Amino acid sequence: MTEAVPAIQTLLEELTKLPGIGPKSAERIAHFLLAGDRKVAVTLSEALRAVVERIRPCRECFNLTEGDLCPICSDRRRDGGIVCVVETPRDVGLFERAGTFKGVYHVLGGRLAPLENVGPDKLTLTQLVQRVRRGGVREVILATSPTLEGDGTALLTSNLLAGTNVSITRLARGVPSGASLELVNSQILADALDGRKAF
Amino acid sequence: MAAERATALVIRGTDWSETSRITTLWTREFGKVRALAKGGRRLQSSFEVAFDLLTVCEVMFLRKAHGGLDLLTEATVRERFPQLRTDLRVLYCGYYFAELLADGTFDYDPHPQLFDATLETLRKLGNPTIDRPAAVSAFELVWLRELGYSPRLEECAVCGTPVEAGVRVPFSPSAGGALCPKCAPSTADRRWLSADGRATLGRLATDGDTLPAGVRTELRQLLSQMVSSILGRRPKMLAYLDGVG
Ligand SMILES: [Zn+2]
Ligand SMILES: [Zn+2]
Repeated sequence: MTEAVPAIQTLLEELTKLPGIGPKSAERIAHFLLAGDRKVAVTLSEALRAVVERIRPCRECFNLTEGDLCPICSDRRRDGGIVCVVETPRDVGLFERAGTFKGVYHVLGGRLAPLENVGPDKLTLTQLVQRVRRGGVREVILATSPTLEGDGTALLTSNLLAGTNVSITRLARGVPSGASLELVNSQILADALDGRKAF
Repeated sequence: MAAERATALVIRGTDWSETSRITTLWTREFGKVRALAKGGRRLQSSFEVAFDLLTVCEVMFLRKAHGGLDLLTEATVRERFPQLRTDLRVLYCGYYFAELLADGTFDYDPHPQLFDATLETLRKLGNPTIDRPAAVSAFELVWLRELGYSPRLEECAVCGTPVEAGVRVPFSPSAGGALCPKCAPSTADRRWLSADGRATLGRLATDGDTLPAGVRTELRQLLSQMVSSILGRRPKMLAYLDGVG
């Protein structure tokens, strides 16, 4: 498609920076935006500008929000004594969709991955420790992913919180409700056995 | 495309899309292999679990002929190292080994002894009473030897002249060993290697259980310099190891 036009070339380059978008998808999207109703493109560009200008991290939990405090932190019905520590704002969305958690969150901004240049200083760990030290937090739930990097992040977080009196828990891992035992893999079964609780 | 079977340690993983990832495997049979794991991020998939970092797995993959990514077709977990998940110091050592293997070896350049040493060291680190700096140093020495850079302790690394035995010697990390009196003055990164340090370095590769306190700092520094000189940069994980002893 019209590779000689610089503006289109720039658009293609920017689109391919997005996750999951290769050169072919970028061409298809660019073509769609330019071919039909251009209002779609204008609305999209305005929406992008709006999020970039208005959305920022919540002062308390670092979830993304429009104001100073996110809707969860400002909700009086949420239990501020239980803090669920997650990697990204996307994870907050996942827990909220599950709909059972009534506490609040702390978004680390990623997971500890020194080989990918994500050291402890790139995460909001100091802020979490300060938040716990300010008082009022009874339990910190480490809800990072159960990969080695996620477990490493949980380990580092719990080491840093060791000096406080807060109770630290880790998300359980095991057989999902509704899954048939023969369909889950052996590691999940092993984890479920390790994490068994009184019935 | 030929189907290959290998025993592999996962040393790097990058998300490629919602459903697949590119995995760098350190295999016993083929050395470093970079391969695409399609559907490697589905929750229930035992496939995904096998590609978690520093997991040992058995894999089947299709080797691409023209420089493209190999394609993983099967994977089962063979071994995990639980201590990586309970002791941050061990985790950092594991990441350090992964860094040296990923950035210091070439694709399809097998080193079975280095593969075995990696697994053996990761197992050893599971023992909380282990001398960690000794284990790390012994691993570095196997890595150096397999890449062809074993420190030369008995003859000058520049000209090959034998150097006096049993005494401290000038040593150049970039030249890869001891220096004779003639070569030492013109070697920019020369430093001293104590007689004790020299003796310990000589036996560490075969008997890597302890690093005496008296030479610990000296040898950790010297080996870090050698590793950095071969990688062309200071390994990222060294900063993390320094903090944990
Ligand atoms: Zn908030
Ligand atoms: Zn010489």
